[in-house]
Amino acid sequence: MLLDFDKLGAWKWILSAVCALMALFLLLPILFIVALSFGDSRWLIFPPQNWTLKWYGELFADPRWLAAAWTSARIALIVMVLSVVLGLLASLALTRGTFRGRAVLRAFFLTPMVLPVVIIAVALYAAFLRLGLNGTLAGFVIAHLIVALPFSIITISGALETFDPSIEDAAILCGASPWEARFRVTLPAISHGLFSAAIFSFLISWDEVVLAIFMASPTLQTLPVKVWTTLRQDLTPVIAAASTLLVALTILLMIVAALIRKGKSR
Amino acid sequence: MSSPYLHINGIRKTFGEVVATDHVELEIAEGEFMTFLGPSGSGKSTTLYILAGFQDPTAGDIRLRGRSILQTPSHKRNIGMVFQRYTLFPHLSVGENVAFPLRVRRAPQAEIAAKVRRALSLVRLDGFEDRMPAHMSGGQQQRVALARALVYDPPVLLMDEPLSALDKKLREEIQHEIRRIHQQTGVTILYVTHDQEEALRLSDRIAVFNTGKIEQVGTGPELYASPATHFVADFIGNSAFLAGDLVAIGAGRASLRFADGTVLADIPMHGTGLAGGKAELMLRPERIELTAQPGLSGASLPVTVEDVTFLGNSSTVSARTGWGEVLSVRMNFGHPMMGQVRQGDALHVRWQPQHAHVFAKA
Ligand SMILES: Nc1ncnc2c1ncn2[C@@H]1O[C@H](COP(=O)(O)OP(=O)(O)OP(=O)(O)O)[C@@H](O)[C@H]1O
Ligand SMILES: [Mg+2]
Repeated sequence: MLLDFDKLGAWKWILSAVCALMALFLLLPILFIVALSFGDSRWLIFPPQNWTLKWYGELFADPRWLAAAWTSARIALIVMVLSVVLGLLASLALTRGTFRGRAVLRAFFLTPMVLPVVIIAVALYAAFLRLGLNGTLAGFVIAHLIVALPFSIITISGALETFDPSIEDAAILCGASPWEARFRVTLPAISHGLFSAAIFSFLISWDEVVLAIFMASPTLQTLPVKVWTTLRQDLTPVIAAASTLLVALTILLMIVAALIRKGKSR
Repeated sequence: MSSPYLHINGIRKTFGEVVATDHVELEIAEGEFMTFLGPSGSGKSTTLYILAGFQDPTAGDIRLRGRSILQTPSHKRNIGMVFQRYTLFPHLSVGENVAFPLRVRRAPQAEIAAKVRRALSLVRLDGFEDRMPAHMSGGQQQRVALARALVYDPPVLLMDEPLSALDKKLREEIQHEIRRIHQQTGVTILYVTHDQEEALRLSDRIAVFNTGKIEQVGTGPELYASPATHFVADFIGNSAFLAGDLVAIGAGRASLRFADGTVLADIPMHGTGLAGGKAELMLRPERIELTAQPGLSGASLPVTVEDVTFLGNSSTVSARTGWGEVLSVRMNFGHPMMGQVRQGDALHVRWQPQHAHVFAKA
C-alpha cells in the first residue's frame, strides 16, 4: 500500500490524535445530553452534581410527551412501509426497465437529497394549505416520504443491481409464475437491501425536524418538534431525557442496520 | 411418418434490423444429445431462449411431440435449463434449491425429499443438502443447477454454455458427468457451446450455426469427414485453406489452379461453382505429411520449410507453397523425419486423394 499506517513514524501519533479528537467532537454533544438527563439539577448544570431518574419519570408521566412519541412512531412506521414499497417499485423500473429517459428519471428521483429541506418545507406548506393537509398525519407522512424515498431507491437499486436477473429466469423455468418468482426468489435475495431501506426510512422520519415543524399543529406534533417547542418555553432536563431516548433508538437501529450489512457480506 | 419428438420449425427472430436467427429448422429425436455449435452472435442462445419461452419468435413454430408450445408460458412448459451464469437461489440451501421446482408444483413432502436426494446423488453431491450456494465452487454450483433442472423430469433439458466459466480441467471432468447423466436418465438435451472439442465429446449430433443459420447438422465424424461448407470445414478441425481458380468441373470433382500456375486435378468438390470461378482447397493438418518425394498427381505440392515448432507429443511445421501461402503440417512424435526438418528445406506436402476438398466460393 502507498500509505502504510505502520510506516508513518511520528505521523502515526498525530493521525491517531486527530481521529480521537474527531470522534470526541462528534460524540460530545450526545454524551453531554445523556449526562444532563441523569443529573439532578433543574438548571441543566454541567457537570451534574448528583444522579437521578426523575426527569425520565416526569417524561413518562406527561401525556403530551407520550402523545408526541406515539405520533412520531406512527408516522415513522407508515413512512417506512410506504418508502420500501414505493422504493422497490421505482427501483424495479429503474434497474429492469428498458424505457427511454431512465437516467433522467433516476436523477429526478434523487433530487430531494440535494434540495435544501427548508425549500421543500415551504413548498409543501403552501401546497398543503390549499389541500388542508397541514397538521394532519397524512401531511407528515407525505413530507417525510419525500426525503426518505431517495435513500430507499438508492439502497434497493443497489441490491437489485447485484442480483442477476437470470436467477429469476431460472425460477420461472422451474415452474414459478413471474410473480411467484419475484416473491419467492428476488425479494428474499435482496432482503438485506429492503431491511436497510426500511431502517433508514424509519430513522429519517423519526429524526426529522424541519419539515415536521412546518407540518405540526398544537394538537399533532412529533417528538423532535415537541423537544423544539418545549426548549423555547423552558429549559427543563426532561428535554434531555427525551433527547436521550431519541438518540438511543437511533443508535439501536443503526446497529441493526450495520449487523444486516455485515451478515450480507459474510 | 410420425412427427419428430422436438421440431424447431423455421424459427426466425429479428431485433429491429438485427437478424438473430434466420429460418432455423431442426428435428430432434427423443433422448438425443444435440449440440448447437457456432461462433459468438450466431443465434444459438436466441434459439434456446425461444424454446424456453423467454423470447417469442418473429416467425416459425416449436413443436414438442407434435404440439406447438409457443402459446404456453415459460413456467408451464416444464422445460429444464442450466444457464451460463450461476443461477442458484442465493438465499436457499442446496437442498431447497433442488426442491424449489417440486415445491412450486405442490408435490407432497415425502416425494420432495426422495426426489431431491436422488437428484443430488445423480450429480454426485450426496449429503450437500444444507450447504449454501455461496459456499460452493463454480463446478459444484453448476452441478446443483443441473440437479435442479432434472428433478422434475423435464421432456427437454436446455444448457447454454454451462461450463464456460470453469477452467479447462474442471470442464472436462463435468463433461464426463454430463455424458454419464445423459446416458443414465435418457433425457433429451439441447446444449450450446462454441467449443468444438466439447461439442465433439458430448453430442450425438451437432448443428453448426453461423450468422443465424444452421450450416450443417450431423454427427461429429460426419461433420469432420465431409463438411458441407467452407465454414463447417473451418470451424471443426483447424483446416488450412489454399485459394485458387477452378479450371475444370465434373461429377463432384474439380481441378484447381494456384497463383504460380500449379494445377491440382480431380479433387472432391462441395457446393456449386463455375469454371473460372474462385475456390479453396481444404487440407487438415493431421491428414497431410511432409516427404522428400512428391506423391500422386493431384495429391501433393512442393513447399519450403519456414519454421518448426516443437509441442511435446508433436511438432508443427510451417510450410510455404510456391506462391507464398503458408500451411501447417502436424508431425507426431516418432515420425521418421522428426528432428531432421530444417528451416529452408525444399520438401513436398502429400495427402491421400480422398482427404482434400474443394469449396467453391460464392
Ligand atoms: N435482446 C436483444 N436485442 C438485440 N439484439 C440481440 C438481442 N439478443 C441477441 N441479439 C443479437 O442477436 C444475435 C444472436 O445472438 P445470440 O445471443 O443468439 O448469439 P449466440 O450464438 O448465443 O452467441 P454467444 O456465443 O456470444 O452467446 C447477435 O447478433 C446479438 O447481438
Ligand atoms: Mg449465447
